[in-house]
Formats: sequence, structure tokens, C-alpha cells
Amino acid sequence: MTVESGVGYALIALGPALSLFVSVVARKPFLILILLSSTLFWLISLIVLSGAWRGFLPVRTASLWPYALLLFTSVAFQEAVRVLFWKLYKKLEDMLDAFADRVSKPRLVLTDKLLIALTGGLGHGVAHAVFFSLSLLTPAFGPATFYADRCLRMPFFLVSAIISLGFTIIHTFCMVIAFEGYTGGKKTDQVFVPIIHLIAAMMTLINLAPGGCVVGVPLLCFVAAVTLQYCWQMVWRRLNQHQRRQSNS
Amino acid sequence: MAETLEEPPTLLSTIGEEIIRIIAPVSACMLLVVLLVSVLSSSSSSDAPPTIVFSADSETGSSTWDKLKDALLSSIAFVATVTLLTFLLVLLFYFRCTSFLKYYMAFSSFIVLAILGGEITLFLIDKFSIPVDSVTFFILLFNFSVVGVMAVFLSRMAIVITQSYLVLIGVLVAYWFTMLPEWTTWALLIAMALYDLAAVLLPGGPLRLLVELAMSRDEEIPALVYEARPVDQHTASNRRIWRSSGVSSNGDLVQESLPETRLVVAEEAVVSEVTAPLISSANVDHHRQENSVDGIGLGESGAIKLGLGDFIFYSVLVGRAALYDFMTVYACYLAIIAGLGITLLLLAFYRRALPALPVSILLGVLFYVLTRVLLEMFVVQCSTNLLMF
Repeated sequence: MTVESGVGYALIALGPALSLFVSVVARKPFLILILLSSTLFWLISLIVLSGAWRGFLPVRTASLWPYALLLFTSVAFQEAVRVLFWKLYKKLEDMLDAFADRVSKPRLVLTDKLLIALTGGLGHGVAHAVFFSLSLLTPAFGPATFYADRCLRMPFFLVSAIISLGFTIIHTFCMVIAFEGYTGGKKTDQVFVPIIHLIAAMMTLINLAPGGCVVGVPLLCFVAAVTLQYCWQMVWRRLNQHQRRQSNS
Repeated sequence: MAETLEEPPTLLSTIGEEIIRIIAPVSACMLLVVLLVSVLSSSSSSDAPPTIVFSADSETGSSTWDKLKDALLSSIAFVATVTLLTFLLVLLFYFRCTSFLKYYMAFSSFIVLAILGGEITLFLIDKFSIPVDSVTFFILLFNFSVVGVMAVFLSRMAIVITQSYLVLIGVLVAYWFTMLPEWTTWALLIAMALYDLAAVLLPGGPLRLLVELAMSRDEEIPALVYEARPVDQHTASNRRIWRSSGVSSNGDLVQESLPETRLVVAEEAVVSEVTAPLISSANVDHHRQENSVDGIGLGESGAIKLGLGDFIFYSVLVGRAALYDFMTVYACYLAIIAGLGITLLLLAFYRRALPALPVSILLGVLFYVLTRVLLEMFVVQCSTNLLMF
């Protein structure tokens, strides 16, 4: 509605990401580079998806299934890209370890690897928030506001900001879980991430029903909280394990 | 966790700092240009843009073919002027007229800061209705420009001031370039990218000649170059290995004096030969061994230098993207940073003169086209239905 509310919506979508950036990522220049490259990765995957779906848009039917198909293919593709991202990260880790040996500095430790995974996820989350929420925010800086047809209780910008916030959290911490799962080989971790992503995406389908966003948005925040909890438990377990191993050796 | 893990500072804290020190000012320059463009674009749409030679673009109703033809002709004229002026620069450098070049550099910085900067400040004052009288304004502008010239010219200022003024000069010139008609801007960017590629890599290219001359004489090229780190006078005298150079120049910008324009600017190669789209890491010889890191290209010595022309053309691309929508801005920003990263990697890998413009500009244009054609429809469809993934 005004500059203040425009900035407010932007901060709702990006606030936690910004605080994570300032406190964790900005300290280490290498993490900023990882952030930029993972954002780029996500953007490229989004462009490929939009290229694939361009011929079928705009969807003219009011039924559910084209949207469901769209979401399903998008999530599947993004999970495949995540595996690719992990493989590239493995190569990067080897290169960094070789470089560390050459300049006789200590190799990457567990916290470093977790930080890189967190930054990768943050990059994905930030890209999501920027492209799905912030890029549409330009009218919010003007004198009026906009209500979507199916969600008349809150301005459109507020709803999309909250949804982006939920997805940012999900993306950020799913990346940590996924990297741990692929490195450690635990099946539950590996399977958890695509399922959560799919559930979250399907949850947004509820928004298609009139008045559905009252149900859909809190459910999404619940899914984000579940992701946070799972990630917290996993990291705690891993760090304790690591510390025990270090004190034993 | 009983106690916090006290780990020694690992590799992760130190790697990549050089690159960030270059990416940060480039991002700041682009951000400022985007802000200026988005704030001022609604008000200045009625002003006539500076015309370079041919302009059918600003007339409504001209066909696409006409616009394309005029854009191509304008950009070819521009590149031809730039080539001529660069050869002139090489000639002057060859005849050791370095002091002339330095004075010209100072003069052109003054012109950019005073006239272009003053014009933009007037736009801003107009837009926000800031109460300031003309005497104060002129005094402040004059002081600002003189300090800028001294910061860029003398090397004894605090490095932060020099860097800020360089970024500001880049912002001012880039903003004026975004006022060109649309097709001309894109044609110009692509033409400059191709020119940079040719001028640096071909054996007869003016920039390559310049770099080789500077290397053989162990002198610095007199140009506006952004340095990521202060260089003390001691290491400056050692032999430098210039990685790449590209010299840009603004051609003749002759603005027709229409009734509503406030200023007729006939700038002949203004910030021209002097702002070099130049990317180099000034490595001192004895550090060369440590710099042979495969693939990552992160030397411990050597501050990375980037010429001001690069700043300007990157910001022009992003500024023009901002005139369409913010989604294109983000996409182009990421593309340019990716291109810059790739160029830096190639720099560490090939260890010779490399142009900084082509990769970024071509990636930026590609992403702009892809976003506008493909991405926008997809994202708008999804978001307006509140479907996200």
C-alpha cells in the first residue's frame, strides 16, 4: 500500500533468511559464493521447468489436476537437481581438501560441511522467496493493495509473503537433512526430504479452493515447523556423535 | 552440547575473500542504478533521451525492422568510435604522453561528477521536492566533484573514499546509458561485448597492444580502475602481470536541444578511454607459485582489479532490465555475477589477458530473454493462484 508496507511484506518473506545471512553467511566469504551459486542453480532449474511448461500455460480449466501435475513435476525435477547439487558439492569438497593439504591448513570439519549445506539451502530458499514473492511486490509500493479472488481475508501480498517464508524455512533445512542423508546413507533422511517438499507443495493446492488459504497457510507453517524439528534432532545427534568420536580418538 | 566447539579457524573462513571484495562493489553499483532507474523512470519518460546518430526507436509506430536497423547502426557507430579512440589512446601511450592522459582523466571525472551527477541530483530534487537553493547546490556540487577528482587522481586518499567515488562515477554513467532507447541499449551491449572479446584476444587488438606496451615498460595504464585492495607504493613498482583489459569509451553523445531538455551535452569520449573494463590480478612475481591453484583460482597475494567500464556496462544491463520488471533484474543480476565468477576462474586458469565483458553480458542477455519469454508467465500463473513449490 505504501513504501512501508512494501518493505514490510519483503521482510516477512525474507526476514529469517536475512538474519541467517548476517549472522552466519556474511562472516565467511566462501559461503556468500555458495549462496550465490545455489541461487543461480535454483533459478536455472526454474527456467527449465517454465520452458517445459510454457506450451501448456495459461491453464484454462478450473479443475485441480493440471495444477497438481504441474506441482508434482516441478517438485520431482527440483529433487533431481538437489541430488546433482550434492554431487557437485562432493567434488568441491575434494578440491577444497586438496587445496587445504597443499597450503597445510586443516581440512573441512563437520561444522564446515553443515554450514555449506545450510548455505546451499538458504540459497534455494532466498531464490524461491525472491522469484515467487518479491518480484510481484512492485505494486505494493504504490497507493493500493490487491486481494486474490479466492482469499479475501488477507491482501494477496501478505499471503504470498507468509507462504514464501514457510517455503524458505523448508528449503533451507531440507538441504541440511538431504546432504546428511546422502553422505551418511540413512534411508529415512534421504526419503524425508522429497516427501516433505511434495507435501508442502500439495498443501498449496488447498489454496485453490475458495477461502482455502485460511486452512492452507497454517498447515504449511506446520510443515515448516516439522522440518525444523527433524533437522534440529538430526544435527544434534550428529554433532554429539562427532564429539564423542573426537574425544575417544 | 556441553561446551561450545572451539575449532581453529578453518579453510572456510579465508577462501574466496578476494572474489567477494570485487562482487560487493559491483553489486552496490548495480543496486544503486536499479534504485535510480525505478525512482526516476516514471517521471523522466517524457524527456528525450540522448540520441546517438540514429534514432527511430523513440518514435512510436515505427516497425520492429526499423528499430532493429537503427539499433544496429547506432551500436556499430559507437563501437567504431570506441575503436578509433582506443587506437588513439595506444598511440598517445606509445609516445609517452602519460601526463596528458592523466590530466584528461581528471578532467573527464570532473565532468562526469559535476554535470551528469548534477543533472541526476536535479531530477531527484525535482521528484522529492527537496528544498535547496541554487547557491548551496552549486557549492556542494563543486566540492563534491573536486573531492571526487582528487580521490580518483591522487593515491593518498583513504581507499574507501576512492572506491566509493569510482562506484559513483560508474553509477552516473550507467544511469545515463539506460536512457537510450531499448533496442539500441541491447544492441550496444552485445556489440561492446564482442568488441571487448576482439580487442583483447586478437593479435592486432588495441587493448592487447596497450597491455603489452604497459608490461614491456613496467608502467601502469592510465585508466580508471577499481582496486579491491590498497596497493602500497612499494609493491606498485614491481613488475605487474596484467590479466586482461578492455577499454571502453563513450562515443559522441550529441543531444539535440529540444525545448524541454535542460542541457546539451556534446561529450567526446568523456569518461572514455579512461574507464577500462579491465580485470587483472596484480601479482608480484615471487608469489606466482602459490597462485597456481587448479580450478579455484584463489591466490593469496594479488588484489583483483576491475576496470570501471565493466561496472558501467553491467549496471546498464541491469538498469535496462529494471525498466521492465524486477524479476528480470534478479535473473540478470545472478547471470552477471555468474559470468564474473566464470571470468575470474578463467583468469586464474589461463593467466593471460582476458576480457571481462563478454561472458557476463551474453549470459545476462540470455537470462533476460529467457525470463521475459518463459519464466514470467510460469511464475505469475503459479503465484496468483497461490501455488508454490
